[in-house]
Formats: sequence, structure tokens, C-alpha cells
Amino acid sequence: MIHIDVILPRLFAEGATELNVQIELELGGLTALVGPSGSGKTTLLRLLAGLETPRSGRITVDGAVWYDKEEGVNLPPQQRAIGFVFQDTALFPNMTVRENIAYAAPGGQPGLVEELIEGTGLEPFLNRKPGRLSGGQRQRVALARALVRRPRLLLLDEPFAALDTHSSHQLQQVLVKLHQQWQTTTLLVSHHDADVQALADRVIRLVEGHVQTDERIGSRMPDPLMHERIKQIEYDENRQVWVIETANSRLQSTNPAWSQFKVGDEVQLAGKTQRTNGGFNL
Amino acid sequence: MPIDWDPIWLTLRLAGITTLLLLLIGIPLASWLALSRFRLKPMVEALISLPLVLPPSVVGFYLLLAFSPTSAFGAWLLQTVDLQLIFSFEGLVVASLLYSLPFMVHPIQAGLENLPVSWREASYTLGQSPVRTIVRVLLPNCKPALLTGIVLTFAHTIGEFGLVLMIGGNLPGQTRVASIAIYDEVELLHFDTAHAYAALLLAISFAILLLVYGINKRVTV
Repeated sequence: MIHIDVILPRLFAEGATELNVQIELELGGLTALVGPSGSGKTTLLRLLAGLETPRSGRITVDGAVWYDKEEGVNLPPQQRAIGFVFQDTALFPNMTVRENIAYAAPGGQPGLVEELIEGTGLEPFLNRKPGRLSGGQRQRVALARALVRRPRLLLLDEPFAALDTHSSHQLQQVLVKLHQQWQTTTLLVSHHDADVQALADRVIRLVEGHVQTDERIGSRMPDPLMHERIKQIEYDENRQVWVIETANSRLQSTNPAWSQFKVGDEVQLAGKTQRTNGGFNL
Repeated sequence: MPIDWDPIWLTLRLAGITTLLLLLIGIPLASWLALSRFRLKPMVEALISLPLVLPPSVVGFYLLLAFSPTSAFGAWLLQTVDLQLIFSFEGLVVASLLYSLPFMVHPIQAGLENLPVSWREASYTLGQSPVRTIVRVLLPNCKPALLTGIVLTFAHTIGEFGLVLMIGGNLPGQTRVASIAIYDEVELLHFDTAHAYAALLLAISFAILLLVYGINKRVTV
């Protein structure tokens, strides 16, 4: 479990004067951080990475204290097991794709770099410098580089922002694949609802430095299928989706067939494998 | 008209040694200035930049006082390491190091500060130390700045006159650099010799700058 409790003085457009966030992230989850521009999403990532220091609070990751104002603990970025994918990718222009990925690779694991190169589909570009890559390719290099130290927490800052639909889709597939393979706890900042729906199992909306909503799109259910009873079902007019809540999950879909369900029905829940069009098939 | 080549070689040797030593001193200093948020940083920056605004004779005067065997520092140097810094080549090197320091530090510092902060941060989040980050990521990406620092330092040391005159005098083979030799020859009304030295310095300086601009164009793509 990752506990985050941070306060940082900051002026927001609408008058709030501090970023004040308390959240807990389950290990292995992929959480999306959404919200309007300037709501503190990137700042939160930077606080977690140790690139900025909160005024007070505490950050613990699986029991290890990364920051604690009262105990006087503030690990530098180097000592936090993080992977950070910057919005501008921050690839090093003097190094080739392979050198970028291998730059921080721990010694004694030669297979790791190769595994990441294969996982991100970068084999054809290994000897190119970042300046000769497309936006999507650069993001994939940045992702591979960020994972090379097997971080406990992967932080992605708007990785899809500058990509066209095709590149964005490609990067999503890589991200899902690597996430399923490595189960790295991931926090993803994104503006695009489609990306969030396709990837995340939890969505936290940040507004003016505060958590406004925190919802699970569907819990990470193991196969085989699970049976759960519907506790609540409603049609969200604004977003035109059906929302079903069970004891452990919150599901949504645009599928009109969901209208036949009612409270108390037993439904079979599938994992990510059956997720389509941003919803779940029941 | 036989030309004494000694002043030319002495000048190039002084400029070469000064540039090499300043590269070793200037890179760590510029990196520290570019990356640190030390509170007394403006003080250090002002001290480094002093030679830019002071007349060379002022710098030379204070160095003359400091290096003189009658001063505490000069006496100590003479007694402990048997080193006399006035009227000696070693003294010119030490003086040139101080005098040309800003010409090495400023371009490198500016080059490092102009790089995106995210490169440094990315390296840190990848667990790499500041020193490794500077050596592997930052310096290789500001080669033009390094080159500019090297060339400005070399060229500026070649052009030193007032400072050399103050603490070096005019000892052949020791402190009689080209700029001093030109002055000396003019004083003696040997215009031909003065002209030869002057033309040589002009040619060397132009060739160096041409080389730099040529290389820099290829580096900054």
C-alpha cells in the first residue's frame, strides 16, 4: 500500500491556497489522475518523486518512509524507487535509444534492457538518437527507460498529450502489456477520458489541489469469473452510461442491454480481458 | 630580419597551460554554480567576474603585492615550495588562471543553465548522482558552450598585456610574451619586428576563431 498525505502551499486560479491531498494506492494498481489544467496533478507527481518538497505530510510506500515532516525524513529522488515519464519525455539527446534505456540499468541483469526493448517494440530504432524519433516512439523509450530499475511506483505525466490517435493507442497497448507483466503500481496523469477509461482501474479527480472524486472503474478481478450481486444501478444522463455498483466494484457501460439489470441480480464479472469500449461486458 | 620565436612559443605555452588548467577548474565550478541553490552564490559569481570589469593593472597590482617575497603569502611560497611568483612563468600562469576564469566559467555555466531541467530530473529519478548526471548527460549536451569557454580562455590569455607587465616584467624566455615583445620592439623603434609579431598574433587569433565557428556550426544541429 502507498500512503500519500501531502500539503504544499500553492496559489490556484480560483483562490485555493494549498495543495492538500490524502490518498492511498493499492500496490499493483493503475490509477489515473485527472482534472483541469493547473489543478496540481503534475505537482503531486513531482512531490512523490522527490523533485519538490511538501510543507508537511508523510509518504510511505509499502512500509518504507519516503517523506515524513515530523521524523525529518525526505529521501532524494535517487533513493525513491520510482520511474518518472516526463511530459516532454526528457530523453537524453546525446544517447541512442538503447543507450537511453541502458543508462540507468542495474548491473548484472543484461536481459532486462532487452526485455524492455522487446516489450516496447523499439527494436528497429535502437541506434537512432531521440531527435529522429516520432512522438509516440519517444514516449515508448521514456517508458522503457523509466522501468529499467524496476520501480515500486511508476509516474506518467501526460504521456498521451502530444500523440495522434494511432500512436496513443499503440502506447496504451504497450502500457497495458507492461503493466500486466510487471504489476508496477502506476499513477497516470491524463487529460483524455478515452485513455483513462481504457487503462485505469481507478480514477482520482483533482480540482484546485484537492481530491474531488475518487472512483474505481472496476476492481482488478482475477480470472476465473467472479459472481457478485448488484447493490445499485443507475443511468448517468450526463455521460450516458449505466453505472452498476456491487460490494467490491463499480462498473460502467454504454451497453443498452444493461437496462435489464436490477438490484439484487447476480452478475458475472470478468477481468480486463473482456473490457470493451471503456466499459465491461457482463 | 631575424625573428625571435621565443615570445610566440611562450605565449602559446602560457595560453595552452592556462586553458587546460582552467578547464579542470572551470567545469566543476560552473557545474556547481549552475546546479546549486547555495545562498552565497551571488558572492562567488561576483568574485569570479571581477576580472571582467577591473583594469588589468589593478588585478596585476594586487597580485604583485600578494606574490612579492616581502608579503606573507609570497614569503611562505618561497620558503615552503621554493616558488617565486613574480617575474616568473609560474606566476604568469597563476595570474592568468585568475584573470581568465570568467571566460571559462561563464559560457559553461550558461550552457548548463540553458539545458531543460527535466534532463537533470530524469537522471535523478533514474537513481543517478549529480556528478554522473553532469558527466554523462549535461556536459555532452553543451559541447558548444565548452568549446566557447576553451576558445575564449585561450584567446583572452594570448591577448594579456597589462597583467603580464605588472607581475611578469619582460624577461626573455620567462615572461616576455608576444604582446610584451610587440610593445618592447615599438619602444625600440623596431617596427618591422613589431609588425611581424602583431601579424602573427592576428593570424593565430583569426585561425582559432574560424576553427571554432566552423566546428560549432557542426556541433549545434
